[in-house]
Amino acid sequence: MNRTPEEMVREIEILSGQRIADCYQCGCCSAGCPIGTAMEPPPSKAIRLLQLGRVEELLESEGIWLCASCLVCGTRCPRGVDYARIAEACRLLVLRTKRSVVDPDVVVPADLEDVPQQAFIASFRKFSV
Amino acid sequence: MRLLYYPGCTLYSKAQNLDRCGRKTAERLGVTLDELPSWNCCGAIFNTGSDDLAGQVGPVRVLAKASQLGDKLVTLCAACYNVLKRARARLDAPGNKLERQRIVEFLDEKMERDVKVVHYLEVLKQDIGWEAIRSRVVMPLHNLKVASYYGCLMVRPREVLDFDDPDNPMVMDELVATLGGEPVRFEFKTECCGGYLVVNRREVAEGCSMRVVDNARNWGAELIVTTCPLCQYNLEIAQKRGRAEAQIVPVLYFTQLLGLALGLPQKDLGFEDNKLDPVGFLKEKGLL
Repeated sequence: MNRTPEEMVREIEILSGQRIADCYQCGCCSAGCPIGTAMEPPPSKAIRLLQLGRVEELLESEGIWLCASCLVCGTRCPRGVDYARIAEACRLLVLRTKRSVVDPDVVVPADLEDVPQQAFIASFRKFSV
Repeated sequence: MRLLYYPGCTLYSKAQNLDRCGRKTAERLGVTLDELPSWNCCGAIFNTGSDDLAGQVGPVRVLAKASQLGDKLVTLCAACYNVLKRARARLDAPGNKLERQRIVEFLDEKMERDVKVVHYLEVLKQDIGWEAIRSRVVMPLHNLKVASYYGCLMVRPREVLDFDDPDNPMVMDELVATLGGEPVRFEFKTECCGGYLVVNRREVAEGCSMRVVDNARNWGAELIVTTCPLCQYNLEIAQKRGRAEAQIVPVLYFTQLLGLALGLPQKDLGFEDNKLDPVGFLKEKGLL
């Protein structure tokens, strides 16, 4: 990739349509996130990493893959920042290096038999190349 | 009244009870849902990447198909409603003229007009009306405390969906009251069930779902109703795996509850497809 952190943050801003500098770290998003403590980093911390130029750290994190796109974070943000779109932009940067996080070929054990199609399609669209 | 109807992928297989009860209850209420011919999957989740045009093709094609037959498209699945409505909004956004042109030109189907995407709950409230529905209730849901669970997809993003009060939607609660039941107030009516995380992180999704169920139960709910096959699955399976039978709160699609109150025969209600069998509970309540 060989891009500077500044270039990558800019790309995330373009892909997400959000301005990273708009966040003033009130933490409303992280407080409301239903995934809660399982998401590391939580939304506000993830945005802070981008503000500090620590892009690789965020792209390597598990947190961006634990978003269910429920949009509570963006709905409650007093600055109008939509973290779900930022997380999606981060995932796209990773997925576009041909790295899947959910592999459709290995993900279907017997206990997923009853899972509705909708869940598979959504999961593969968000987490697979 | 005839309305154009988009079932979507899951309603053709795992959520046939949502689909069948939707069509049959509409029939009882004087509305025919005409299925959109040769429809395709909406994509199940909305892609937000600004350059991700491929993700828009599916839902936009559905809108284009529908535009040749009508100006309104009814959905029963909360996810289809969410995706189609957001695709519509993205297509119409003033800054997206070029994107719209590229997608529309890519499709074989001509976009004849701007189709409005509506949910069956909106049809019930606005086109049919609570009074007309009340007059057709043959099995009032007396003494039944029902928590209406809307989840995320019906209400967010608020500026696009504009469905109801995004923090405290009431349409389904109004329906429950119309059917003679007692709507239960609870805080988690728009909290996430964990959604598609159930595919690869089941424990995370189950945690989300149990919080919703416990919250509804703490406020006295005896039954939960949903609009989404994935919410339905998550709320049922989390309880099935993690709860003793005595603590289980049955979960129905809102169309199943409506069908019950309108007196649909039991074979049309599709309880055999529910993961938590509600029949014993409904008999106990004198509703079956």
